[in-house]
Amino acid sequence: MIKSDSKPRQVVRPVITRLLMPYILLFGLYVQFHGDFGPGGGFQAGVIFASGIILYALTFGVARARSLLPPDSLQPLAALGVLLYGAVGVASLFMDGHFLNYSVLSSDPVQGQHLGILLIELGVGITVTAVMVLVFFAFFGRDEEGEV
Amino acid sequence: MILAGVSLGILVVMGLALLSAYLGPTVYDRILAVNMFGTKTVLFIAAYGFLTGRPDFLDIALSYALINFIGVIAALRYVERVYSVEKPGGGADDDTA
Repeated sequence: MIKSDSKPRQVVRPVITRLLMPYILLFGLYVQFHGDFGPGGGFQAGVIFASGIILYALTFGVARARSLLPPDSLQPLAALGVLLYGAVGVASLFMDGHFLNYSVLSSDPVQGQHLGILLIELGVGITVTAVMVLVFFAFFGRDEEGEV
Repeated sequence: MILAGVSLGILVVMGLALLSAYLGPTVYDRILAVNMFGTKTVLFIAAYGFLTGRPDFLDIALSYALINFIGVIAALRYVERVYSVEKPGGGADDDTA
C-alpha cells in the first residue's frame, strides 16, 4: 500500500506516473540532443518534456505541479529560449556571416554548424516546454483553484 | 513480405478498434477502444519503419506510446469531471489528494 496517497483506490495511477515520468523526461532530452542525427528536434523535445510535466499535474494536481515549476519562473524561461535563438543569429551576424549562418561560429565550419544547431534547438526546446506547460496550467488550473 | 503482411493485419485491427470506438455503448468502452487504437498505431509505426527500411521510426513509436498514455489519462480526467458535474456529490471524492 502506498503511504503518501490518502485514498486506496488511487494507487495505480500515482505509481505508474512515478514510474513513467523520469523516462518521459529522459526521452525528451534524447529527442532534444539526438535531433541532429535522427527524427526529433527542439519542438518535439519540448512537447515531450512538457507532456511529462502534464502527466505529473494530471495525477498529483496542478497545485503541486505549480510548486514544481512556478509560472513566475516559466515566463522568463519562455523568453529565454527566444533570446538564445536570436542571440545565436546576432552572434553569427557579428562574426562576419549572415543572420543565423552557423558556419562562422567556430573556426571549423562543420563544428560551427554543430554548435549553432545545438544552441538553436536548445532555445526552441526551452521555449516550447515553458509555453506548453503555461498553456496547460492556464486551461487545466482554471477550476482547480480551490484544490490544495 | 512478412512485414507487409503484419502491417496490413495491424491496419485491419486498427479499423476494428475504430469500429469498436464508434459502437461502444458507454464512454469507457470508447476510451478503451481509443487506447487500443493508439497501441496498434505504435505497432504499425514500428512495423512500417522496418518495412521501409527506416528503423528511426522506433523513436516515433516510442514517443507515440508515451503520449498515448498521457492522452488517455487526460481524457479520463475530463470524463470524471463531466460526470461529477452532472451528478453533484456522486463523484466529489474522485479528485486526487
